[in-house]
Amino acid sequence: MNERDVTIRLNGAARTVYVEARTLLSDVLRHELGCTGVHVGCEQGACGACTVIWDGRAVRSCLALAPQADGATIETVESVAVPGGELHAVQQAMHEQHGLQCGFCTPGIVMSLVAAYRLGVSSEHAKASVLNGHLCRCTGYVNIRAAIDLAWLAIGDTP
Amino acid sequence: MTAPLVGQRIPRVNDARLLRGAGRYVDDIEIPGLLHAAILRSPIAHGIVRNFDASEVDADLATVFGPDELATRLGDVDVLWILGDQTTHHTPVIDKHVRFVGQPIGVVVAASRYAAEDAAELVRIDIEPLPPVTDLDVALAVGAALLHPERGSNVLVNLESGDTASHTDAVFARAPRTLRTSITIGRVAGLAMETRGIIVDPQPDGAIVVHTSTQSAHAVRDGIVEATGLAQHRVRVITPHVGGGFGLKDHAYEDELCVVAAAIELRKPVKWIEDRFESLTVTTQARDERHDVEIAFTDDGALLGLRVHSIRNTGAQLTVFGAGPLFACLGTLPGPYKWEAVRGVGRLVCTNQAPLGAYRGFGQTQAAMLRERAIDLVARELAIDPVELRLRNMIGADEFPFTSRTFLTYDNGDYAYSLRRSRELIEADIAARPSPVDGRRRGVGYCTYVQLAGIGPSQVNHFIGLLIGGYETSTVRMERDGTVRVVVGVSPHGQGHETTFAQLVADRLGVAMDDIELLYGDTDLAPYSAYGTAASRSIAVGGGSAVLASEQLATKLRRVAGEMLEANPEDIVLADRKATVAGTSVSVPLADIAARALQGFAMPAGVDPGLTATICYDPKSATFSYSTHACEVAVDTDTGVVEVERYVVVLDCGTVVNPTIVEGQVHGGVAQGIGAALLEEIVYDSNGQPQTSTLLDYLAPLSATIPDITVELMGIPSPYTPGGMKGMGEGGTNGAFGCVVNAIAAALPEVAASVDRTPLSPSRVWALLHPEAT
Repeated sequence: MNERDVTIRLNGAARTVYVEARTLLSDVLRHELGCTGVHVGCEQGACGACTVIWDGRAVRSCLALAPQADGATIETVESVAVPGGELHAVQQAMHEQHGLQCGFCTPGIVMSLVAAYRLGVSSEHAKASVLNGHLCRCTGYVNIRAAIDLAWLAIGDTP
Repeated sequence: MTAPLVGQRIPRVNDARLLRGAGRYVDDIEIPGLLHAAILRSPIAHGIVRNFDASEVDADLATVFGPDELATRLGDVDVLWILGDQTTHHTPVIDKHVRFVGQPIGVVVAASRYAAEDAAELVRIDIEPLPPVTDLDVALAVGAALLHPERGSNVLVNLESGDTASHTDAVFARAPRTLRTSITIGRVAGLAMETRGIIVDPQPDGAIVVHTSTQSAHAVRDGIVEATGLAQHRVRVITPHVGGGFGLKDHAYEDELCVVAAAIELRKPVKWIEDRFESLTVTTQARDERHDVEIAFTDDGALLGLRVHSIRNTGAQLTVFGAGPLFACLGTLPGPYKWEAVRGVGRLVCTNQAPLGAYRGFGQTQAAMLRERAIDLVARELAIDPVELRLRNMIGADEFPFTSRTFLTYDNGDYAYSLRRSRELIEADIAARPSPVDGRRRGVGYCTYVQLAGIGPSQVNHFIGLLIGGYETSTVRMERDGTVRVVVGVSPHGQGHETTFAQLVADRLGVAMDDIELLYGDTDLAPYSAYGTAASRSIAVGGGSAVLASEQLATKLRRVAGEMLEANPEDIVLADRKATVAGTSVSVPLADIAARALQGFAMPAGVDPGLTATICYDPKSATFSYSTHACEVAVDTDTGVVEVERYVVVLDCGTVVNPTIVEGQVHGGVAQGIGAALLEEIVYDSNGQPQTSTLLDYLAPLSATIPDITVELMGIPSPYTPGGMKGMGEGGTNGAFGCVVNAIAAALPEVAASVDRTPLSPSRVWALLHPEAT
């Protein structure tokens, strides 16, 4: 049924999968390519849990079909810190400020914030706009905003 | 000696894994040969399944189980709380009388979820429609279609709480003044970010291993055993990481049991992950109540009586805790005040909507809102400051233990302090950061609640018709190198037990945080717990058992150390991974004590080898945490949009194990309370079709909706819990809901009496302000 090869540069390595054209990118990343840190919270583009970095921009992977990502460079949460190595400033700040509880929405939030951090947006923009694209049911967002303030201090952006 | 860990802001020990995307939630688990299920559900609200035809499905691609096949394999789901005149003690897993959109009828199993859904589209289900009963008025009308004809009425439970009718009537009859209001509380979804999900893995010997996203592995096992007839020891339930619970994941649901039956029949592992459409239409919902509230008082503001008549739209059928949330609502009406009479009368009514179940607050959220709203109306009528009015009627700090009019015996506290302090904090904030002059109308609201937290003891559960025990069990075990494993019946899904339980245990054994591993969430490993983690019980009851087990083990360590150091065990101090004779530098490493005790060669007289302590702790009493929430809102009268601008919580949850984690629980609870007050509502049309089946229709709060929140913790230890803790996980929601509603009414005094319905969405607020337009 309409299967095809899809090649993605995923977390630094080229990966090719043979999938039905209708397969969601989120499902391919999770179930074919083992990136189970990509969480699926709604498949409606609303919650943001499945966010990955696609050619440098934060994208909801549940809203793309896998063939659309053919040739793309995609980073998932697994690549943000080297396994066993130091956490990224965003991850470290989330930890220090208690910015996560159940952890389900967390990878998506981390990916959006890491993309914003690299782009050099202000901490105010990260809090008011970037974070507002994500649904979290545990934290009330208060400590995630505190984590943004802490992480952004490292790039000289004081709240 | 290092400072105690309890009370410190220890960062959570398990965060890194979750932050790296290395958590292991149920959908992350792969098993060789795993098949995938899709559930076949009723597309209409009410009817009888007349025909089920799967002949179009290619049997090589998918296996279909229809209602007849499932009904022969699956029995009933137990209702574990029996209240009032309730006659239903069980409900069938499969029922061809379908009563809500989404009720499971069958299950399709295939090689992938995509293939299973393809096959599901080919199944023809003929349902003879019955008249849908989709609101309370229709359900209660004479001649209404009956959802459960054997009951003879759509009222499934009538119940009462508190004082008798005659006593209450007498108090109201002699009261100088009374006031009445009707309040409608919208239907909400608990909405865990991770949907439900289950993997059933049949073993060659006929046993099954189940991985599922649940708050209570043992409750799921009990449900599977009840429905399938398998023996308890043939069912192992494991909870991997769980992406939020909030009360929703407290039992084995019918659709999950269908997956169990399919996997057993196929003898192959089967996974089913709920999608968000299912989560918003099938997972138990909450509230959906109408309350008629009467309050009696004197001219100088003494509160005399509170009488509430409630109707709750429980949806299609009773679920595991039955009318429990309505009972808890009426039972916690008195709150922190002294009354002469409090009486609640409740009716639980069925309609063709999704069944209600437990959700954070479990009825206590509504109780706080009803009472605090009524008190604000009294203050307004008497032109008394609402905080002063509350203070005049509060139970004093010297009046404990205090038995409420609903027979709850409050343990201790200083309710007035929490109210006074919350006012000081919010007024200081308003003075320090004045609001801009922007044309919006502002108001401050207050809500003080007392939360029944850590329900138990077991005999009380039995007395109130709750058929599960109120105890928790913990085992603390020291290994040969002095590291420690703690095995508990409670199980976390965001609450940070790995950190807080380690703090409790480490202080008592003199080990470091890193030395402790918490084990939970596996019925083959963990002690039985009927609740798992729910009802604000983990730290109050589970923590109590862990404290007692640690103390028992510490006593044994001291005895062995005393023998080794030739000292009196009572003079031994456990700290810094050593046992030290107090006031000396004479010590022995815990690892040496552990090695000796586990070898067992040279134990002191009368001391058994080994270093394991297990305590089953049945509390003497529930704990009663409390707080006051104060917030300021800004209302845009042109659009009806409400913004919560300032938020303060002054909370007493007894001894605070980890302030950061407690604050995080408060933040999340407040967000859910704000969401329910302003945004969240499950809506059905007049045919019983759900209208809010995506996250674009069901609006949960985003960051922009939730302000920063100031939390102060009072920390007055519980007189009952070993360690002094009180439960608090639901409190944020309990306080926030009423607080926000009161603040909106305060901002809009000209329509305050009409602020009587949630959610107060922009369109509702605008309509309140523009009655001529509606």
